[in-house]
Amino acid sequence: MNARNVLRIARWETTRSAGDVDRKTAVAFVAVLVALAALVPALLAVGPTPGEGIYRVGVSDDSDYRPVVERDPALAAVEPSQGAVADGRVDVQITDRGVVFRDSEKSRAALAALRSATVSYNDHVMRSEPNQSAAFPVVVSLEYVEQSISVAGTADSAQQTEDPDGAGGGGAGDGGAGGSDGSGQAGTGSDGLPAGSGGGIGGLLGQSQSGTPSSLSPPFPLRSLVFAFAFLLPLNVVIQAYGSSVLAERINRRGEPMLVAPVSRGDIVAGKTLPYFAGALALISVIAVAVGAGPLAVAAIAPLAALFLASTFLGAMLARSYKELTFVTVTVSVTLTAYAFVPAVFAEVHPIAAISPLTVVVDSITGGGTTAGAFALSTLPPALAATVLFGLGTGVYREEDMFTQLPIPSKFLDALAAPLDSARRAGVWTALFIPFVLVAELFAVAVLFVAPVELSVPLLLGVVAVVEEIAKSIHVFAGFERGKFSRTARTALVAGAASGVGFFLAEKLLLVTQLVGLPGIEVAQAAFSPAAVGLPPGVLLVAPLALHVVTAAISALGAMRSRLAYVGALAVAVLVHVAYNLAVVVSLA
Amino acid sequence: MRRLALAKRTLGSLRSEKTIVLALAIQLFIAAFSSFLVVGLVSLYDPGSAGGAYVVDVGVSGNATDDVAPVVAAGDSRRVATYDSQAAALADFQNGSIDAVMHSTEQPGGRVLVAATAPEGSFRTTLVVSELKDALSELERQRRSELSSSLTRHPLDLPPERSANPYFSFTYTVLLPLLAFLPAFISGSVMADTLAEELERGTLELLRVAPLSLPEIVDGKALALVAIAPAQVALWLALLAYNGTPVSNPVPLLALVTGVAAVLVAGGAALALGIGARREAQLLYSFVALGAFGAASLLPQSLQNVVARLAVGSPTRLTWLTVGAVLVAAAAGYAVLRRTTA
Repeated sequence: MNARNVLRIARWETTRSAGDVDRKTAVAFVAVLVALAALVPALLAVGPTPGEGIYRVGVSDDSDYRPVVERDPALAAVEPSQGAVADGRVDVQITDRGVVFRDSEKSRAALAALRSATVSYNDHVMRSEPNQSAAFPVVVSLEYVEQSISVAGTADSAQQTEDPDGAGGGGAGDGGAGGSDGSGQAGTGSDGLPAGSGGGIGGLLGQSQSGTPSSLSPPFPLRSLVFAFAFLLPLNVVIQAYGSSVLAERINRRGEPMLVAPVSRGDIVAGKTLPYFAGALALISVIAVAVGAGPLAVAAIAPLAALFLASTFLGAMLARSYKELTFVTVTVSVTLTAYAFVPAVFAEVHPIAAISPLTVVVDSITGGGTTAGAFALSTLPPALAATVLFGLGTGVYREEDMFTQLPIPSKFLDALAAPLDSARRAGVWTALFIPFVLVAELFAVAVLFVAPVELSVPLLLGVVAVVEEIAKSIHVFAGFERGKFSRTARTALVAGAASGVGFFLAEKLLLVTQLVGLPGIEVAQAAFSPAAVGLPPGVLLVAPLALHVVTAAISALGAMRSRLAYVGALAVAVLVHVAYNLAVVVSLA
Repeated sequence: MRRLALAKRTLGSLRSEKTIVLALAIQLFIAAFSSFLVVGLVSLYDPGSAGGAYVVDVGVSGNATDDVAPVVAAGDSRRVATYDSQAAALADFQNGSIDAVMHSTEQPGGRVLVAATAPEGSFRTTLVVSELKDALSELERQRRSELSSSLTRHPLDLPPERSANPYFSFTYTVLLPLLAFLPAFISGSVMADTLAEELERGTLELLRVAPLSLPEIVDGKALALVAIAPAQVALWLALLAYNGTPVSNPVPLLALVTGVAAVLVAGGAALALGIGARREAQLLYSFVALGAFGAASLLPQSLQNVVARLAVGSPTRLTWLTVGAVLVAAAAGYAVLRRTTA
């Protein structure tokens, strides 16, 4: 790759896309952006409530509950009438003798909404009571203390000194509470509480809290999560423009002169990508500054941005039309957003979150630290996956592929088969697939860990087997289908063996998961180290190697024959894999 | 007739490219994804709803133990253990035999101070804290009524508690509007794509040589793309109903989706014809559609809210007026598009 060529192409790409936009379009863009900017404050001021008025409550004007209903946007007050609940005109009705409701989902949901509205209304009323200590008779201070279930030792002694401190704080609060009564409305308790006792514990889950029971909020990283989500939005816009630009080279054969020019394919792809990657990074940095995240957050999102671009690039190389590209773009953004977002939901509550780059962002916003291992785990797989996807796309960046119209799956096989010059090369591809295997398995772990262990572990073993077997055989199948390999059993066995060995060697990458304590989660253990302990080291090395070679050979033999045989052989390979995993899990249990 | 032929061709190309299959797969994925998210989030936020699979052991100490312990024990997913001193409770907390400690002190005025301790940095924390919150709110209610003589106003009695589906409101106010508007949005986007592509490839010129006028071409394509939006939503409604989420007013709901799709498709077509380049048209379409949805949520009843009200069965006159307004906007958008292409 030549840096000067790359930069020249990047400059050309930038000026061309800017020059393409005529004045009318530019004006339209500015107008729309200004309108959007004007809309945001209006939306914030109005605060749309999508659930407005979905529950109808029959309540008379003079009822005590009338203000309760009026304060809650989800509840709509309706004139009460005889039989209104029974015939469904009203979901809940408040009468002199009590609350009437139907035995339906909606009615019960309406009742629950009414109940919580009453709780918050009561708090609201009590806040204006003169006697605050009777209005809020319970004051709570909550502290988070690490539970050390290990044998009490030196590590615990620090905790022990903390404990009497907490008790002393409670005592001090007795004296201070009188002050809170005097201070009136604002003092719903918070200033009558032991203030100093929280020191030193402000750990992972935020600060200790104090106040009335309703002011307690279980740790829930929603706010930081919303901020983290903002990092993904610009990526969607960038890949739209990027995909169009790549596809435009192919439509009307506009890319043809490029291919003739004395620059390498790598130069062209890197040069075309550079402006979009730089743009994405710039947008991410702006957002990072806006939400108060550090440079580490930008560094964590950069590989994810590269992965967005890489999948779009490959998609645009395979798509036949703009329509198809739109669906590719939507698929890319939905899949990758899910990959980044789902684990990050558990940031601050569960180690599983470490697999998502967004967790680094959340930690950066909340001020929690990120370990080097966690950073590597969240950024390495996307970075590697992006590299491989760019490699695949660059492989088909040539005349015979760019300007032909074939369905996506068939083009995908072309892309896979392109570099397969010998059966042994299959091993290299398999090793390159490891990042995807890692990404897919991590995501499966993230999705499945909430389920009970007896359900999630078998499911996960199945998913792992399917993912790994496909990764070991899909390109071998492509090699046979595209005539790269001669259809002989010998070739199939060589390719299968190479694929198995490649997988085994690259699998050692998975060790990165152990850097951050993911194995502490039962599901993750099942996925990543089924043969962790208890076996002699020789068996530990030989057994998985044998497994991978055998299963890869099975599916390669199927791939040699036909598509149908490939699918069947793949199923057999998956079954063998699952059986092996189960045997290991059971023998170790 | 020729329009119908073109509409059929547009649908045919969607089918042969498998894009419509992909679109349905994506939507299925989004629905699965959001229901996973909502189950995950709600069970984190309100673990009691998870079905009481996990029981929180609470250690209670202090001079108000007699008041606090029964309240804690009253919850289905809570167990209580009493201790003579906070230190003893904390020791058990440390060795893991209890999940939380509540040290309660009653003051002369009747106020109860509770120093609560919850485990840090564990998955259980959220669950433990919400159980503590539950118990303490109940305690607060009891104490309030005991101290009611010193209050000028009395808190209202709470309506009875019945087990309600915590996802009920989410399903109707977030998930369903999402599922209803996504197909419409994609239809408009595809409309912009298909016209921009014909323009860029120069095939629109070819079509015009055929005995088809530009309005007819646009009509044919629009007909197909507007029609598939309510078709997809109808599938969703059927699927939801099959899963035990009944949807009231399906016909007005589908009419609303058709109207929104028509507006978006007309917008996409206008942008593609006006700009001619796919990238700019597509980008501008996204922004305009975003802005349109934003502006629509400033209405007295936002479109999202209209969908929720129709589906849950609480429409008001304003809901019907909004549906009517959307249909009028769709007709107007179509008329404008026709006049500009003619």
